[in-house]
Formats: sequence, C-alpha cells, structure tokens
Amino acid sequence: MAGMRGEDQAEERLLVRVARAEMSAFEELYDRYGRSVYSLAMTMLRDAEAAREVAQEVFLDVWRTARAFDPTRGSARSWILSLAHHKSVDAVRRRRLRAVEPLSEALPSGQDVAAEATTALARGRVREALAALNPEQREAIALAYYGGYTQREIAERLKIPLGTIKTRMRDGMIRLRDILGADVAVGEP
Amino acid sequence: MTHQELRDLLPAYALDALAPEEAREVEVHLATCETCPGELRTLRQVAAELGEAVTESTPPAGLRAAVLEAIRPQPVAGAEPPVRLGRRQLLFPRGWAVGLAAAAAVVVALAGMGISVNRRLSDLQERLAAQEAALALLTSPAAKTTVLAGTVPANVRFVYDPAGGRGALVVADLRDPGVNLVYQLWLIGGEEPVSAGVFRPVSGRPVIVPIATEFQRYRAVAISVERAPRGARQPTTTPILSGAI
Repeated sequence: MAGMRGEDQAEERLLVRVARAEMSAFEELYDRYGRSVYSLAMTMLRDAEAAREVAQEVFLDVWRTARAFDPTRGSARSWILSLAHHKSVDAVRRRRLRAVEPLSEALPSGQDVAAEATTALARGRVREALAALNPEQREAIALAYYGGYTQREIAERLKIPLGTIKTRMRDGMIRLRDILGADVAVGEP
Repeated sequence: MTHQELRDLLPAYALDALAPEEAREVEVHLATCETCPGELRTLRQVAAELGEAVTESTPPAGLRAAVLEAIRPQPVAGAEPPVRLGRRQLLFPRGWAVGLAAAAAVVVALAGMGISVNRRLSDLQERLAAQEAALALLTSPAAKTTVLAGTVPANVRFVYDPAGGRGALVVADLRDPGVNLVYQLWLIGGEEPVSAGVFRPVSGRPVIVPIATEFQRYRAVAISVERAPRGARQPTTTPILSGAI
C-alpha cells in the first residue's frame, strides 16, 4: 500500500511535468501506459486500427489536458485509464450507431459477455475478484465496462427494471472495491 | 435529481455506463458536492483495475512515434511575425454559411481580446459594431440564455436570439487553457460539429464571442480545448463544457 502511494506520487509528478509541456515526461508516461491503453482499446474494439486511433487520441488528450488533472480526484493511473476507457466507449458507441444495429441483435447474452470478458482477463487478482461477485452483478459490470453499454441499454436488453441494474452495478462495484481494497490505493486527498 | 440519486449514479458513471445527459448532471453535481468526489475516486480506481486486467496486446510499431510527432510543438503566432490570413480561412471551416461581415466581427472581437490573429484586420469601427451588437443582444427580451456546464468550474453562458440569428458566447470565468492551446466553440446539430471560433479567456474581464447563424439548425453548443492559434477542423478532445440550445 505504501509502495502504491509512492508510485502514485511519482506518476502525479510526471503528469505535472507533462502539463508544463516537457516532452521527456510525456515520453516516459507513454512508455508506462502505452501498452495498457492500447490493450484496453483493443479488448473493447477488437480492431487493431480502431484501437490504434483511440490510443493516439488518448495520449493527445493527456498532453493537452494534463493541466486539468486534479490529484485529489484520483491517481494519474486511474485518470489515464478512465480516459482510455471513455474514448473506447465512445468509439464502440459510434460504431454501433453507424451500423444501426438493433439493440436486441447487437447485444449478446450478458452472461456470454461476462464469461468472455472474465476468461480473457490476464490478471488473476481481478479475475478472482469478479468471480466472487454473484453472476448478475458480474454480468451488469462486464456489459457496462467491457461491452460499453449504458445501464439503460442493459436494462432494456435483459428486460430487467433499470433500478435493479443500478443496484447490481453499485453492489458489484462496492464488492470489488472491498475485495481489491488492499491494492486499490484509496488515499484521502 | 437529489444528492442521493446522483450518488447512486456514481458506480455507473465510473463505468462510463450513463447516457451523456446523465453523465453531465453527475459532473455538475461533482463540482459542488463535498462527499461524492471522494467516492468517485475509489470507484475510478476499481474501474482502472478492470481496465488494466485485460489481456495485453502489443501496440503497433509506429504508434509511439506517431503520438510523439502529433504533440511536437509547432510555431505559434506571437513567436513569429503575424501570419497574413484571409478572413474567410481564419476561423471558419469551408461550407459554413456565414456572411463575411460576421466572420470579420469574430476576428475583430478576438483581436480585441488579445488573441494573436492578424491585428491589421482589426478596424475600430467594426470592433465597436460587433461589441454593440453583442451588448444589444444581452439585453434583448427575445434573447435566450443557456448556461454551459461540464467538467471544469466555469461561468460561461451562451446568449442568442433564435429568430434574429445572432448570438454571443459570454465567458465570465474560465481558466487558462494552457500553453499553445485555445478554447474552440462548436455548434452541434448534424453529423459534424461546426466551429464557431476560438478564444482565450482574459483574467478579470468577460470575453464575448459574437456568432451569427441559423440557430434552429443546432441543438447544442460545446467548448473543447484545441491547439493554438487556429483550433481544429473537428474537435480533437472531449468537450469540457456544453449546453443545449
């Protein structure tokens, strides 16, 4: 935990240097996160060209908006990963809009997505944490995070009240936090 | 929405599972809430764990170089003699139906705000006319106002007269966008956002960006951070502020 916080601080300093337009800091940041960002985009988009575009956008955004990074709102690592996720979700949704897929056909069974996403997880710890959720919570979180669906789309597809999906997502995230707790550096700002 | 309802949306927000309107409501709430930012911080860490747990893929050769090339500093106005720009090419992408007079008004207003555009374009009379038009609009009973909200603290309004086709962005408080960057205003209607000009805030006094267009063609305005001095043809970053019109 202490090591984690030290790491966070090192990365925050790196972002501060990026905000001052230091190219060398940006290169270091890219070397730390390029692979994570690209891998997440690739997992969500399953298309090398699209993932490459997303990764490039993410790093341009990091460069341009590093000044807006606020360490009291989260670590540098979670900021970059959430930017990568956000852009990947946007790309997934744009693609769905273009394809004009009817939602019912576009969305595979939630259990399938959850199963596929979790077996594809390389990191044992997170995979185990997801396995500890009940199947409904796991499904809601996997469809949202890895599938890029909104809670409303998930509710419609699964024909379950929106409130129920919200509860599953919330309970699942709280459970994940508790399981991963020791490693999720939750420092008070 | 109440605090409790917004708080209940935080897990979905951290998972990017909200519709854009809901996400914006959460962001507005986060700007003022004492407890929600701390809670979101934890949820984001959990989401980041989900993100980092995926199977690794090797980025294509050349991605690193492409990214570094894209951020390489480019000469900006101010460092060099002013660039001679045609009025038409200065701020408006091709095909934007706006009269030259309106384009000139924006150019003049920008020049008046200390933006490094070709100052030789600025003509006192035109400047006064643009400011007068914007001021008249602000007090017109026909004018509608929308407050822009988003991910940064700001006091930015968009005032417009739907029938008259005139409007102005009023920037009372907005932080500096950063070195070599500007804010760019976008009109959002059809498939692609349309640029309505770039600006930089000025500390201590409001900045007014006049706009003339058919507002019924658009449903929202948004502001993104773009590269100085001219901005981009299409937004390259996620808008930091937006509002429905």
